[in-house]
Amino acid sequence: MKLHLKRPPRSVALALLLAAAAAHGAPPAGRLLAAQCAQCHGTDGQAVAGMEKLAGESEGEIYGELVKMKANIKPDEIMHRQAAGYTDAQIRLIARYFATVGRSATTTGAVSSRRKSDD
Amino acid sequence: MLLPNRRKLMQGSGALLAAAALPSRLRAAALPRVVVIGGGFAGATVAKYVRRWNPQIQVTLVEPNPAHVSCILSNLVMNGALTMSDITLRYDTLRTKYGVSIVADRAVAIDPVARQVRTQNGSRLPYDKLVLAPGIDFDAIPGLDSAVLPHAWQAGPQTLALKAQLAAVPAGGSFVLAIPPAPYRCPPGPYERACLVADYLKRNRRAGKVIVLDANNDVVAEPHTFHTAFQTTYAGIVEYHPATVVEAVDWSARRIHTNWGPIQADAANIIPRQRAGQLLAASGLLGSDPATRWAPVNPLSYESRLVPDVHVIGDSQGTGQPKSGHMANAQAKVCADALVRYFAGEAPDPAPVTASACYSPITARTASWLTVVFAYDPVSGTMKPVPNTLAEAPAPSSEHYEGMFGWAKNLFADSFS
Ligand SMILES: Cc1cc2nc3c(=O)[nH]c(=O)nc-3n(C[C@H](O)[C@H](O)[C@H](O)COP(=O)(O)OP(=O)(O)OC[C@H]3O[C@@H](n4cnc5c(N)ncnc54)[C@H](O)[C@@H]3O)c2cc1C
Repeated sequence: MKLHLKRPPRSVALALLLAAAAAHGAPPAGRLLAAQCAQCHGTDGQAVAGMEKLAGESEGEIYGELVKMKANIKPDEIMHRQAAGYTDAQIRLIARYFATVGRSATTTGAVSSRRKSDD
Repeated sequence: MLLPNRRKLMQGSGALLAAAALPSRLRAAALPRVVVIGGGFAGATVAKYVRRWNPQIQVTLVEPNPAHVSCILSNLVMNGALTMSDITLRYDTLRTKYGVSIVADRAVAIDPVARQVRTQNGSRLPYDKLVLAPGIDFDAIPGLDSAVLPHAWQAGPQTLALKAQLAAVPAGGSFVLAIPPAPYRCPPGPYERACLVADYLKRNRRAGKVIVLDANNDVVAEPHTFHTAFQTTYAGIVEYHPATVVEAVDWSARRIHTNWGPIQADAANIIPRQRAGQLLAASGLLGSDPATRWAPVNPLSYESRLVPDVHVIGDSQGTGQPKSGHMANAQAKVCADALVRYFAGEAPDPAPVTASACYSPITARTASWLTVVFAYDPVSGTMKPVPNTLAEAPAPSSEHYEGMFGWAKNLFADSFS
C-alpha cells in the first residue's frame, strides 16, 4: 500500500473525476431530446438557412406550437409528424431546454439570438 | 452487459481515476479517449457532439478521405441541378471548432482486448470507447464491376460516373435500374433516382424506357408517391417490375440476368445488396452467423451486444431503424449522450427518441418527403415507430423541393460544422 500513498486515496480521485465529469457530464434535462430537433433547426436551435430558429423562443411558445401540431396533424406538414413523436412531458423538456440555451451562452459559445420576446 | 455501471467504469478506468490528481500536463494522457471510425453523417455527428457535450473527452476521427461526399442530394448532381462542391463536406470545423483529432487513414483491424485500432499506415490508436460508423458494403453480383457500371450508392467518383452514363444514354434507349432487397441505405432513394433518370431523359427528348427491377415485392418506401409518379408523371417511360432479382451481369453483351430471365439494356444502374461496413464482420461485431448483415446493438447506447466498449451507429447498426443520414445523425447523438454519461459514471438515458426525414425529388422542380419518429420500447428493448409519425407527403410539390434544401443545409451543418 506504500506505493499508493503518493497519490490520493481512490475515493478522493473518484470524487475529483466525478466532479470534473459532472461539470460537463451530467446532461441537462431535455438536451438529448432537443438535439433531435437540430437536424432541421440547427445545432442548439441555431438554424443556418431556410428553417425556423428555436434558440431563444420562450418555453410557452415552443410547447404551445408543438402540442397544437400534435393534436391536429395536417397531412402536408412534416413537422406535425415530428411533433406526434413526443409525449407531453418530453415536449415540455424540449421547450424548456431551447428557452434556456437561447438565454445562456452555450458550450460552443454560439451567439444567442432571441427571435421574439417571451409570451 | 447492457448498461455500464460504476463498478465496471472504475475497473476499466483505474489509471484514469488515479491520474485525476496529477498535474494537468501529465493528466492529458489519461483523459478519456473515444476513437470514431468513419466520418460520414454518423461518425462526424458523434465526434462533434461528444466534444460539445464534454470537451474533456479526447476524440479521434479516423477517415481516409479528405472530405465527405454526401449521398444526400447526390441524385441532383447526377441530373446536373447541383455540383459536387454542393455535396462535399469538409472536416475542418470538426478540427478547429470542436478540437476533434482527424487521422487521415483507414482502420483495418480492432483489438477489443488491448482496446486498440490498427490502421492501414500501421498506427495503433488506443481507446476507452470505440465508435464504428463505416457505412455500408456491397454483395458481389457475378459479372458486375462497379468501375464499369457504377452503383453510385456511395457518393464521390461513382456519382460522376453515373452522371456520365446518364448523359450518354442513346435517344429512345433503355435504362435499367435495379433495387436490392431491403434493408438497404435510403429506402426511397432508388425510386427517387428512377424518377430523376426518367425526368432527365424526358426533358432532353431522349426518353425511351426506364426499367425498374425491384427485388422487393412492392415499392419499399412512399408507395403512393412512387406508384403515382411511375404510372402518371412518367407513364410510358417507367416500367416497374417487382420481385425481380439481378443474378448476374454480362455487360459486354449489355445483358442482365434476372430470376425471370435475361433483359437487354443500353445503360444500367445496378444497386447491389448491402451489409455493414467490412470492418464489422472481421472484428466479430456480426457474430458467427454469416446471414447477419448488420451489427446487433443496444439502442440505449449503440454499444455492441457482442463486443464490449465498441459502439456501432449509422447504416452499419442493426436496430431496424431506416438507414438514412438524418437517422445516422440522430443515433450519433444518443450514442454521444451515452458516452458522456458513461464517463461520468451514469447509465444511458432510458427513453431515447430518434427520427428520420428523407426528401426525394420527383421531377426537376418538385419533391416529396418521408418521415418517421422512433422511441425506445422498454418491454421489447427495441426502437419502435411512434404511432402517427410514419408518413409520406400527400403529393410532391415545389414547396417541398424548396424545403429539401433548408433541411439538407441544416443537416449538413449539424453533422459537420
Ligand atoms: C441516392 C441517395 C440518396 C439519399 N438521400 C437521403 C435523404 O434524403 N435523407 C437521408 O437522411 N439520407 C439519405 N441517404 C442515406 C444516407 O446517405 C446514409 O444513410 C448515410 O450516409 C449513412 O451515414 P453513415 O455515417 O452510416 O455512412 P456514410 O455516410 O457512408 O459514411 C461512412 C464513412 O466511413 C468511412 N469509412 C468506411 N470504412 C472505413 C474504415 N475502415 N476506416 C475509416 N473510415 C472508413 C467512409 O469513407 C465514409 O466517409 C441517401 C443515400 C443515397 C445513396
